[in-house]
Amino acid sequence: MIEILQQIINGMAIGGVYVLIALGLTTVFGILGIAHFAHGSVSMFGGYLTFFLVSAQGLPLAAAIVIALATGFVLGLLIELLAYRPVRNASHINAFIVALGLTMMVEGLNLEFFGHEQVVIPTDFDRVFNLGGVTIPELRLYVILAAALLIAAMTLFVEKTKTGQAIRAVAENRDAAILMGVNVNTIPLVVFAISTMLGVCAGIMVGALFAIAPGIGEGLVIKGFAVLILGGLGSIPGAVIGGLVLGITEALAAGFLSSAYKDVIAFVVMITVLLVRPQGLMGKA
Amino acid sequence: MMTLRPTHALWLAALVGLALLPQIIAVKYYLHLSILALIWVIAAQGQNLIQGYTGYVSIVQAGFIGIGAYSTALMGIHYGLPVWLTILLAPLVTALFAVATGYPSLRVKGHYFAIVTLAFNLVIFIVLMNFTELTEGEAGITGIPRPGGSDGWLDWRDRETYYYFVLILAALMTGLAALIVRSRIGRILVAIRQNEDLVGAIGISAWKYKLFAFVTSAMYAGLAGAVYAHYQSFINPEIFGVAQSLDAILAVIIGGSGTIAGPVIGAFFVVFLPEYLRFADSFRLIIYGLVLVLATIFMPRGIVGVATGLAARIARRGK
Repeated sequence: MIEILQQIINGMAIGGVYVLIALGLTTVFGILGIAHFAHGSVSMFGGYLTFFLVSAQGLPLAAAIVIALATGFVLGLLIELLAYRPVRNASHINAFIVALGLTMMVEGLNLEFFGHEQVVIPTDFDRVFNLGGVTIPELRLYVILAAALLIAAMTLFVEKTKTGQAIRAVAENRDAAILMGVNVNTIPLVVFAISTMLGVCAGIMVGALFAIAPGIGEGLVIKGFAVLILGGLGSIPGAVIGGLVLGITEALAAGFLSSAYKDVIAFVVMITVLLVRPQGLMGKA
Repeated sequence: MMTLRPTHALWLAALVGLALLPQIIAVKYYLHLSILALIWVIAAQGQNLIQGYTGYVSIVQAGFIGIGAYSTALMGIHYGLPVWLTILLAPLVTALFAVATGYPSLRVKGHYFAIVTLAFNLVIFIVLMNFTELTEGEAGITGIPRPGGSDGWLDWRDRETYYYFVLILAALMTGLAALIVRSRIGRILVAIRQNEDLVGAIGISAWKYKLFAFVTSAMYAGLAGAVYAHYQSFINPEIFGVAQSLDAILAVIIGGSGTIAGPVIGAFFVVFLPEYLRFADSFRLIIYGLVLVLATIFMPRGIVGVATGLAARIARRGK
């Protein structure tokens, strides 16, 4: 029982990272119908940048995170303006190809700036808490808490603010939103800025919890899409539940079955859910 | 038929050009790349059937190439079957996997389908990496024989022989693809791409045709994989990952999606462009990505689309 709880806690930390990645993907998908494949590599850029600022420049972690988030904000705007806006009215496959090209470019830039080495963002959160036999490393706890905070903030933003309302309106019915006076040129910018900042947060978490290396971003974005499928495309609660389900399934599979095949098991769960509920766990039929 | 003459002439010219290629190129390495490009033509023609004609973007083509490559190699090693037989059996083995994966994944559409097939490619990759008892894992399988020795009337050790072998296969498979898309089946596939609900409404069960397109595309990949394995004589999971499946998609898009010439041009493009960018070293990935982004923005219908547009304009001028 303790063992299972332990794995669930482990799964929640990685699940939290998946949720953040998926939140960025799902808002982009919900509003613009774009499968933003470059999201993982962009997130890793954020992680790399934080590592660089902390290790090479000697900045405190908090300052590095703030700079990385600001960079993410600008990067998000640029991605929307330069890459996706020109194909906005073309078929979705074109946006997907642009996303693939963008992935290569960002991966290439990461290699150019930060090299091939695997890096870990240093933190001094080394304590380990013990809760009735279940051990929780301090860092893991903070990741779970930060993810929860960001999810709550994102939900509040989308549900309660004027801009959030406009985003939901565009997702619901683009033409009607235009008629109601929503500026459909700024909404994609806002969405990409926010989603990229969420991605940067996820990248930093991955860099602190595990490691960043070339190729990690692509693996992460694929997991992010798996979460979307599990939860239902375009749904925020779906992304949260899907991310946790995927993270915990993976941790349980790695702990009790086989760590080599944990991803296979996670994908089998995803495909099974899809067969039973093609719209995802939280998607509308 | 009369109106098709200019395209027929172009096809003939391309075939003659490709047949003369080994005599023209001096650098052996380019012959090697051309063989790889022709193998990619086969895989890309398959990808085009499901992606270009049926409108379902599958991201598992490289996984299927891998299944073809491993099945031909393993059947040869474990059952001592002759190479010719295993090359023919490999697409059938791949087809079995395609039926098993296509049946569940074709129940969903659009991005869902793309991501489910991508997950299948990951699963194939992970199994090839970790099922070491069968696949030797990352180390891979070595010593896969060519279809023949050097003692017969054809010297199979010679790269040129293999080039012509692959050229004939690529031409045949391109011809087969042309036959399929011009048939009733092909017209139904295009109808599915344009309006799947309508196809269902007139009493055609679309899923049978989608499964046909998916399985056929996988058989193309299986054949490409088998031919690849016997050419390189070494395979490991590395080149059967998602990145290579994306290359198959790019070949179709860059060349011209939903055209027969598109995958041929696109296949050469995805093999040669990264090579030409080799001088740029680590900037290669950035430039390759940039080319893709720019190509998609400025020529969304691919090279074939641009060419036919130009040809139409010239024809109008002439009148």
